[in-house]
Amino acid sequence: MNPPDLLARCASYLPQLLDGAITTLWLSAIAVACGFFAGIFIYMMSVSESRTLSTAARVYVSVFRGTPVLAQLLVFYYLPSGLGWAIPGVVAAAIGLSMNTAAYQSQILGTGFTAIPRGQIEAAKTFNLTRHQTLWHIEIPQVVALTLPALVSEMIDIVKASAVVSVIAVTDLMRVGQQLSSFSYRPLEVYTLAACFYLAITSMLSLAGRGIERRMARRA
Amino acid sequence: MSSLPILELRAVGKSYGANRVLKGIDLTVQRGEIVSLIGPSGSGKTTALRCMNFLEAYDEGEVWIKGQLLGYRSAGRAERDLDSEKSIADVRRPVSMVFQQFNLWPHMTVLGNVAAPLVLSKKADKGDAYKQALAALKRVGLVEKAHAYPASLSGGQQQRVGIARALAIEPEVMLLDEPTSALDPELVEEVLSVIRSLAQDGMTMVMVTHEMSFAAKISDHVVFMEAGKIVEAGPPEQLFGNTRTPRLQQFLKPWFDRSLTSVAGVE
Amino acid sequence: MNSFLFLIPRFADAILVTLEVSVVAAFIGALGGFVLNALRLRFPRLLGALYRIYIWLVRGTPYLSQLVIVYFGLPVIGVTMTAVQATIVSLAIYSAAYFAEIFRAGWASIPSGHMEAARAFGIDRWSAFRSIELPQAIAFVMPLLANQTILVIKESAVASIITVPELTMTASDIVSSTYTYIGPYAMLIICYWLLTQCVAVAFKWASVLIAPSRKTS
Repeated sequence: MNPPDLLARCASYLPQLLDGAITTLWLSAIAVACGFFAGIFIYMMSVSESRTLSTAARVYVSVFRGTPVLAQLLVFYYLPSGLGWAIPGVVAAAIGLSMNTAAYQSQILGTGFTAIPRGQIEAAKTFNLTRHQTLWHIEIPQVVALTLPALVSEMIDIVKASAVVSVIAVTDLMRVGQQLSSFSYRPLEVYTLAACFYLAITSMLSLAGRGIERRMARRA
Repeated sequence: MSSLPILELRAVGKSYGANRVLKGIDLTVQRGEIVSLIGPSGSGKTTALRCMNFLEAYDEGEVWIKGQLLGYRSAGRAERDLDSEKSIADVRRPVSMVFQQFNLWPHMTVLGNVAAPLVLSKKADKGDAYKQALAALKRVGLVEKAHAYPASLSGGQQQRVGIARALAIEPEVMLLDEPTSALDPELVEEVLSVIRSLAQDGMTMVMVTHEMSFAAKISDHVVFMEAGKIVEAGPPEQLFGNTRTPRLQQFLKPWFDRSLTSVAGVE
Repeated sequence: MNSFLFLIPRFADAILVTLEVSVVAAFIGALGGFVLNALRLRFPRLLGALYRIYIWLVRGTPYLSQLVIVYFGLPVIGVTMTAVQATIVSLAIYSAAYFAEIFRAGWASIPSGHMEAARAFGIDRWSAFRSIELPQAIAFVMPLLANQTILVIKESAVASIITVPELTMTASDIVSSTYTYIGPYAMLIICYWLLTQCVAVAFKWASVLIAPSRKTS
């Protein structure tokens, strides 16, 4: 194994790994975004006056946080096809990851919601803002600002968790790694390179998160 | 023949569980009147105020705003049929509120805070809303702070922004919940002078306050509450000068003593 | 009904495999993390940077990618293991990074003021530490350790990819061989959920036993 050959081989893996990385990225982005809105919805359910809704929310969070992502994805992919309704792997992956992160985001966002003084909500009520307007114009901007570091942390976790979608036939970064490694019979190089891609993504997110934290600390 | 009162409470009651906080409050507010609610803490005066715009849902009696029932579909003890959010909003539209803790929205600028109720109610377009908001800010003397954030303002300035926000929607009644209680003493006067000038311009106000001298000077009608009931009500000269109610005399004693010493020049 | 009864013994075996792999890996990982943190404290200049690189590598990549490197990649340089061995080794290395960070936080949580106060009252150093700092640090660290153990159990599902006969692998196996879906998948979710709940409860009991909470300032 000599260096120039090694570099040449790694260079040849790059384009496909890049494609896989892009799939990983937009899958994670979709999950983060859907999970954000779903997380708000689940939080609202958990504080609702209806016992049924709040219990349902608690059960949801408990199940999605208490079981592995891989198991959840397998259920979302194979169960419908077993019942006669085949879903494409990417769709199952998007749904599964979104629902998983929604459980975590509902908890993260929840801490933000409870930090907002009741008086601000009362003022909104007084001035006849609807529940919807109060949520989106008064609460959510503050909740996001408050929980941004934790949300970035969750984004990093989603990117890492997304690696298992390779099991349900999605050509993400990990899957490309598997394909390349079986094609080239050089698993060590390929998988290490794939790991480097993940490292790059998570490191950039991490830096962004720390930058945000620093900017928030300065403003405070 | 008196015209339709702008705000009326009839036998209003409110309980929190077993605790009966309001025990049958009757109050009539005419257009242009300044009404002050005074009394010891726990007397229910703040709860009574919050029933007037349905921030608290009263359990008994009725609250009428400009002849419309607030909060419920029909009057009468038997029907506690909660009205729809939209109807409640429609009935309480002429009423706005100023809070003890200001309750400004920290992520918006001063102008944003004042304009938000207008912009979000969609009754006027954005340009007009901002114009109205600026006019309100001018009224309280804070136009130059329009693009600042509430956190950079002093307590007195924040409360004046709160007043501007309450003004911008062109209300017919303003409710003020201890507007100066959370302020450092040196900042109280700037807020009181704004309230005074609004009163002089004819704004109808119901104010819960501990500022006795101020209440005595600007009110048309003063109401003394204790333990959820109105103990005495009447013009300020009667309650502050001439009251026969021993409990009110006792409540006002510190204020009397202080005003006497200041009159005597010992200040 | 028949097929449901048939499920139980297979899942019972699978739970044992999941537990065996997770508990062993978590135990080694916790030990390793503790030692790593201790070494870092003892030799900050030598090991500080190495420690941070290790944490960065392990926490910045998915567990799956680490597992495949150990199981498929290492044989290239002569290190071969069985699937179970690879799982335990990679899971131990993976969790050790997280455990090390937990112990680092636990250590940092000990306010230095307490030590001075103890010394001022004349209690000797070790027993002061044992009765004051240690219980507090343990109480602080216990929920984090519980959480990390639960995370290890959840990550063990990934081992199904290299055909370790744990819960996820077993469920997939049953599904593909019997073409029943709801039974096995329901069992899968329930088993994991019960496992994680039990671990959480077990740790709560343990933390009460080891360090009963005291309201100290």
